Amino acid sequence: MSDWIIRPALEADLNAIMAIEHECFPDDAWSQDNMQFELMAHHTEYFVAVRKESVIGYAGLSKVPASDQGDVQTIAVLPTARGLGLGRALMDALLTAARRLHAREIFLEVRADNPVAQSLYFSMGFEHIDSRKNYYQPAGIDAWIMRLTLPQRRVGREPVVLGIESTCDETGIGIVRGTTLLANVISSSMDAHARFGGVVPEIAARAHLEALKPTLDKALAEANLSLAEIDAIAVANGPGLGGAVMVGVAAAKALSVATGKPVYAVNHLVGHVGVDILERGQVETPTVALLVSGGHTSLLLVRDLLDDVELLGETIDDAAGEAFDKVARVLGLKYPGGPEIDRAAATGNPNAIRFPRGLTQAKDMEKHRYDFSFSGLKTAVARWVEVAEIKAANGEGAELNIADVAASFREAVADVLVTKAVKACLDHNVPRLLLGGGVVANTRLRQLATERCAEAGIELRIPALSLCTDNGAMIAALGAQLVMAGRRPSGLSFGADSTLPVTTVQTLS
Amino acid sequence: MGLVLAIDTSSGTSVAVLKDGIALAEIDVADTRSHTESIGNAIQDALDQAGIAAKSIEAVAVGRGPAPFTGLRVGIAAAIMFAEGVGAQLFGIVSLDAIARQELTANPLSNRNPAQSLLVSSDARRSEHYWALYSGLDRHGVPICSEGPAVNRPGDIEAALAERGIVPAITAVKISARAIGELFEAQAAAGVLSQDVTALYLRNPDAVEPKNLRDFGKRVSG
Repeated sequence: MSDWIIRPALEADLNAIMAIEHECFPDDAWSQDNMQFELMAHHTEYFVAVRKESVIGYAGLSKVPASDQGDVQTIAVLPTARGLGLGRALMDALLTAARRLHAREIFLEVRADNPVAQSLYFSMGFEHIDSRKNYYQPAGIDAWIMRLTLPQRRVGREPVVLGIESTCDETGIGIVRGTTLLANVISSSMDAHARFGGVVPEIAARAHLEALKPTLDKALAEANLSLAEIDAIAVANGPGLGGAVMVGVAAAKALSVATGKPVYAVNHLVGHVGVDILERGQVETPTVALLVSGGHTSLLLVRDLLDDVELLGETIDDAAGEAFDKVARVLGLKYPGGPEIDRAAATGNPNAIRFPRGLTQAKDMEKHRYDFSFSGLKTAVARWVEVAEIKAANGEGAELNIADVAASFREAVADVLVTKAVKACLDHNVPRLLLGGGVVANTRLRQLATERCAEAGIELRIPALSLCTDNGAMIAALGAQLVMAGRRPSGLSFGADSTLPVTTVQTLS
Repeated sequence: MGLVLAIDTSSGTSVAVLKDGIALAEIDVADTRSHTESIGNAIQDALDQAGIAAKSIEAVAVGRGPAPFTGLRVGIAAAIMFAEGVGAQLFGIVSLDAIARQELTANPLSNRNPAQSLLVSSDARRSEHYWALYSGLDRHGVPICSEGPAVNRPGDIEAALAERGIVPAITAVKISARAIGELFEAQAAAGVLSQDVTALYLRNPDAVEPKNLRDFGKRVSG
């Protein structure tokens, strides 16, 4: 594990950058003013490598919107930090930015007497296309001009992609053509989990195996396609329940070998974001995404769907959907708890009981600004119900008002979710919020998000519910984006990753 | 029965391509924790080594276990989708039967004490074994299973058999996809093929139904 990170450069990094600039380029260092202009310019993207809070390297890219060419402006790593892979990591950051800005070609100049740097650039796909005599003064060293051609979005026929989703209790197979939805078939094992009051991983995995063939057959019939007409296969390889994910991954690989079509391993959570493509033709970025289900409660900052997804925060204990299930049990309601609580809450007073909003106090907001916690809330509800029942039994209070408890609990969950999501938008100056995950079905969550976003001037996107819950169409849609962006397939060696980070949009073998 | 792809993931990842019951290629990955990673390449490599295009496979035979849950499913899921992908017929084989056939073909029971049966067992983890008892092969070479498959503690299996005066021969043969393919061929000849590919878990999921769905509330407050 490396002890350094790459992050976008800030104006506050200027002094540290200038110190490295002078150390690395004693003869021809840029001036402080020049560097400041570069860092702050709209057409540049600068990144720094940071170890223990000190800057140890930096790199910059220039790309104006009117051109499809970009230039590597500079790249420097402190001599004491060389050999750690920082140069490659910084270049990777630049190329990621270049792709996001839709560059087709990237150029750079490198000293003719610097074979270490040249071989790094060669290994990243750059080619030596020209030289400039006596470019570096005063030493009179030649410069090599190197160029990288970035893969382009394919023109012509849009790819037909089949997506397989099996990360939790839903077996989903969806088919898209480019950005158009052709089929979305879901087989849920929800009923089999009901008597356990929550998803049982082994039951979910067994159900996936049995649902595979019927779900595939139904999806092909719905799309009116044969397998021969599919161009690529996409599969969610995490995050999720390990044993469940494995069924989908094995299925996708075997289908790939059988049909000779490439397979793309994609991130389930990013799929929830990518699904907006099917309704709008694209995911407008940047956007904040709030993904809430029985397995996840995550806040994502998406600057680019394929290249730049950041996890702002997530639940540190129960997922929101899990809290609904558990509180439903306390109230004697059925599984899944979300719809039951929604129904019970309809006639209740949301302000009857002030249940705690997890991680919203000042001290928590420092460390857990975008994180969630629902464990304390569910305990508070359980305790409240218990006390109310004892009082009622002793004739000291009225009968338990389930509607009020349900409404107050639901209010607490919706409040904390929406408050933090809106804060994330405002903090990052992002004018968009996208909701995803099964809990989006909750009427109060939708209502509160609509109100608060309108107040804050944030555009709210809530995809159709059939696209919000786990489904194969979102996996297919994200896979199609990778195909259209010319990304290479994932190969056959990738595994299931139950804790796959959102920064890994596609897993390569 | 022409070209057959055989898959078994009840222990490691094993894939074989057979033509008329003769193995053309077999890939074995012994690791019992990498089924998901291995299965795609194992199928591709077996086809490549056999020099066979995926499309020419006419039947897929898959081991149904019994086996620990997670790995077993990988092979069955792959078999289902491969068969669907190439339009082949799909058949299920009890993995222990394939071991029995292999052992009984090499060492027929008549060569041993005729009172013996063959006990085939495999590790089921949690100090238990999957097992089945075989009395011999029928005339097509299909093993005759007299008991099982079941899952029990090894001591209990031994004791139960001893009580009934059965002194089993025990095989050390490991499961391989080639054995699955060979048994498939024998079953085809005998006309006893099965299209049942449901996994033989033999255990219920490790989930305890809460006695009182509200227990959770009491526990946290107590």
